[in-house]
Amino acid sequence: MQNLDKMLAEFAQQKLEKQTRRHFLMDCVAKVGGLAMAPLMFGCGTGSSELNLSQRDLNPLSPLPPPYGAKAKSIIYLHMAGAPSQLELFDFKPELAKYHNQPCPQSLLEGKKFAFIRGVPKMLGPQANFSQHGESGAWISDYMPHFQKLADEVSFLKAVHTDQFNHGPAQLLMQTGSARLGRPSLGSWVTYGLGTENQNLPGFVVLTSGGKTPDAGKSVWGSGFLPSVYQGVQCRSKGDPVLYLDDPEGMSRNLKKNVIDAINTVNKEEFNAYGDPEILARINQYEMAYRMQIEVPEVMNITDEPESIHQLYGTKPGAESLANNCLLARKLVEKGVRFVQLYDWGWDTHGTDHDGSIDMGLRNKCREMDRPVSALLLDLKQRGLLEDTLVVWGGEFGRTPMQENREGKTQSFLGRDHHGDAFTMWMAGGGIKPGVTYGRTDDFGFSGIEDKVSVHDIHATILHLMGFDHEQFTYEFQGRPFRLTDVEGELINKILA
Amino acid sequence: MIDFILPLFGRFHPILVHLPIGFLVFGVILIFWSAEKYAIYSPIIKLAFLLGGISAGLASISGFMQFQYEGYGWDTVQLHLILGIFTTFLSFGLWYHLQKSAVSPPRLKIKGALLLAILTLTGHLGGNITHGENYFTEVLPPALQAFLGGEASSNEPLELPADNWEEVEFFTGAIQPILDQNCKSCHNPKKLKGELDLSSFKGIHKGGENGAILENGNARESSLFARLILPEDHDDHMPPKDKRQPRKEEIELIKAWIESGSAEHATLGETSIQLSLVEPFFKKDEKPFYPVVAVPTLAEDSISILRGSGFFAEVVKTDSPFLKISCINFPAFSDSDWSLLASAKEQIVYLDLTGTKITDAILEQVSSLPNLTVLKLNQTFIEGKNLDKLNQSNNLKLLYLNETKVNSGQLKALDKHPRLEKVFAFDTPAADSGTSSQFSFHLETGNLSLPPLPTDTIVY
Ligand code: HEC
Repeated sequence: MQNLDKMLAEFAQQKLEKQTRRHFLMDCVAKVGGLAMAPLMFGCGTGSSELNLSQRDLNPLSPLPPPYGAKAKSIIYLHMAGAPSQLELFDFKPELAKYHNQPCPQSLLEGKKFAFIRGVPKMLGPQANFSQHGESGAWISDYMPHFQKLADEVSFLKAVHTDQFNHGPAQLLMQTGSARLGRPSLGSWVTYGLGTENQNLPGFVVLTSGGKTPDAGKSVWGSGFLPSVYQGVQCRSKGDPVLYLDDPEGMSRNLKKNVIDAINTVNKEEFNAYGDPEILARINQYEMAYRMQIEVPEVMNITDEPESIHQLYGTKPGAESLANNCLLARKLVEKGVRFVQLYDWGWDTHGTDHDGSIDMGLRNKCREMDRPVSALLLDLKQRGLLEDTLVVWGGEFGRTPMQENREGKTQSFLGRDHHGDAFTMWMAGGGIKPGVTYGRTDDFGFSGIEDKVSVHDIHATILHLMGFDHEQFTYEFQGRPFRLTDVEGELINKILA
Repeated sequence: MIDFILPLFGRFHPILVHLPIGFLVFGVILIFWSAEKYAIYSPIIKLAFLLGGISAGLASISGFMQFQYEGYGWDTVQLHLILGIFTTFLSFGLWYHLQKSAVSPPRLKIKGALLLAILTLTGHLGGNITHGENYFTEVLPPALQAFLGGEASSNEPLELPADNWEEVEFFTGAIQPILDQNCKSCHNPKKLKGELDLSSFKGIHKGGENGAILENGNARESSLFARLILPEDHDDHMPPKDKRQPRKEEIELIKAWIESGSAEHATLGETSIQLSLVEPFFKKDEKPFYPVVAVPTLAEDSISILRGSGFFAEVVKTDSPFLKISCINFPAFSDSDWSLLASAKEQIVYLDLTGTKITDAILEQVSSLPNLTVLKLNQTFIEGKNLDKLNQSNNLKLLYLNETKVNSGQLKALDKHPRLEKVFAFDTPAADSGTSSQFSFHLETGNLSLPPLPTDTIVY
């Protein structure tokens, strides 16, 4: 390797240039002294690790034990970006039907702010047919006929609330615990706290569908003030799974290996000179990226799955769809990925057009979600993965029981505005007691009246299931310890197994 | 005099006490050693006792200062202090005695030995004060402790019966156990930190060096509660930083007790306390997932060796000896690699061999893991011939056999397994035969499907 020799020579030259007489003397004193001390301090040194480096210094993604017993080892978080209407899916409000097209009672509007509703809107009755399912008797609408069969597998939170009513901030709050930018996402916290088991795959994978990424941008899977290795790695189900992971044209895998070896040789020299563990972490990352080149395309390829599985999920290889992403999510957790985050865009049903209508667009959206999400739960169940995988489903907020009247005008389609006071989420799998419905809303589904849970409560509960006490799981930044739940969050004990 | 001098001098007691021990032991050794050559050694022996006396004096004075300023009870230090002073006088006495006589005084060895015995007793009593009386016994095996009559310290967290909690006395049944667990180590009649005894109702009502710690019905004004909610690095925070801290729910309960009037005998029901405050203490019949046995913790470097061999190896939670082993990064693992796991036999509770090159032969070894609870053998060459071996793994709860060649006849061998809860056999001959016959465990054979519905194709 001529180039490597040249690089090493150049590197040596640079180092010599930096070496002054003073450095030389300092080195002499430090090293001769050190030599005398070394055996005293380290016993019979092995020579290889002079510094007391932890596993984590060398590889920031190396696994760590959960501080408390964990019920789940992986998470699949299904985020329906845009916020699906709880009033058409899970929160059955027969009383609301009676008020359909009546002006909204003033008591609901007082002191409230809405994203688009102005003046006095009309009430909008439920547009779906509801029925009770399973032994638990959970209400699920006919918008999700397949999911109806899974009523006893999941636990519903019927009175979740958030204080944000715009997509960006609400998504940030839901994913990072703060409506403002700069905090690490849930996935980053978990990956930072536990590392990842499969050393050839990223620990935190993000898959998007629905044509767009979430309104809040990549910060919803960002690492905030945590080291950037803990941020989500966005994989695409269409084309190259990870951008820039493929070798450039004309570059063979062997050549790539040589390049990485060369860079790492230089880095190792650098480490021997300065002993900075960051350098070792960098060496490790180069090697991991190289290993990922093989493993990521393999796990992201769904063509080898049997036909029965494609039928179950409704997958079509090569498409960018929620169905494909659900199947990928199963494959990823099966391969030991810690956190798989799915974003499906297109749930923002204001009634401004056909796709955004509660009675048509939302139905289409539900049809595309119903089968794959139900299939995911079944598939996890039949493989025994549901034993230690936590599945979370939800949007960033809910929708109003009133019909949206953008700019005071009646819309041409039926739509609902953003609403954070009460909406439904569900969880299933590792550590969740199945078949529970927790929380109740008023007759309009406007506010929670019993067992309300906040976004922080959900975070506290998720962290608990992963083996953390959310009050003790902190990261020191700018002189104070930070928590995902800040100063809030209570465990939702009633849904825990 | 500047008033910090004396307490500061008191703080030197733990250092000073070592001087007389050194000098006096040395002196006594010389007495025995010198024997016939006493004349040669006598100046050194005398010096040893003189220095021993002086340093014992300093130790006694500093010890007295510590007793004065640090809130130790007289009962606690009494004997230690008296013997300390006695040691001082004895040392000086011996020195004076030797000073007077030119030759070796009669029965010198007995006098030396006596001094040594008293010195040892003094030191031991002092050690008991700082390290606790069970300092030595604590590390003994429980059986031996019981034999010696030692009492295990009550470190039980508070638990309340879910069905008749109303009848439990608020103070004796709930508050005292919390204080016993979190505060008693420093606030008891022997070790009166802040001159406060929290081990009894009387002590609590008496208060501490700053007077009462309870303000009737007002929690925020009562230092028993107020000190607990101060920021942890505040000087007055209780328990002191870095010590075991009470749980949030425990603090809430203390608050509720004060606000209910801090009575001694009222029951929880009588104080009409909210259910949500007592609920966190209800005894859960939750059975631990992993076996309840004492297993030695595997040294960190042994775990590192496992990792070096290619395994994912991690304890199931911080401070647990139990190990989770997975071959997720070690697909080449085969039957012959089993010996790599030999060091962790007792610790392995979760073993994932999915996707490796193992065969039926490995079940023989696997069944020798006494605490194995979860076993994953998915996607391997396992054919299930000697599945019955796993009957020896009597802690096994979850068994994964997805995508292997096992059939339902072989699974029958595991029927009546004492703990086995679920067996996953998706995509196996066992699943294909369609016999989800009755076993003592739940058999998941998969092939779950979502039959097409007419609505699947309707586009609105
Ligand atoms: C590690 C030893 C230690 C533990 C454990 C401890 N304390 Fe203290 N405590 C002290 C010391 C030392 C003082 C005296 C110094 C001071 O006032 O801060 C004190 C003082 C106090 C005082 C003030 C007494 C007065 O009159 O000034 C209160 C009240 C108190 N502790 C309550 C508690 C409670 C309640 C707990 C248990 C939840 C607790 N302490 C646990 C060491 C301890």
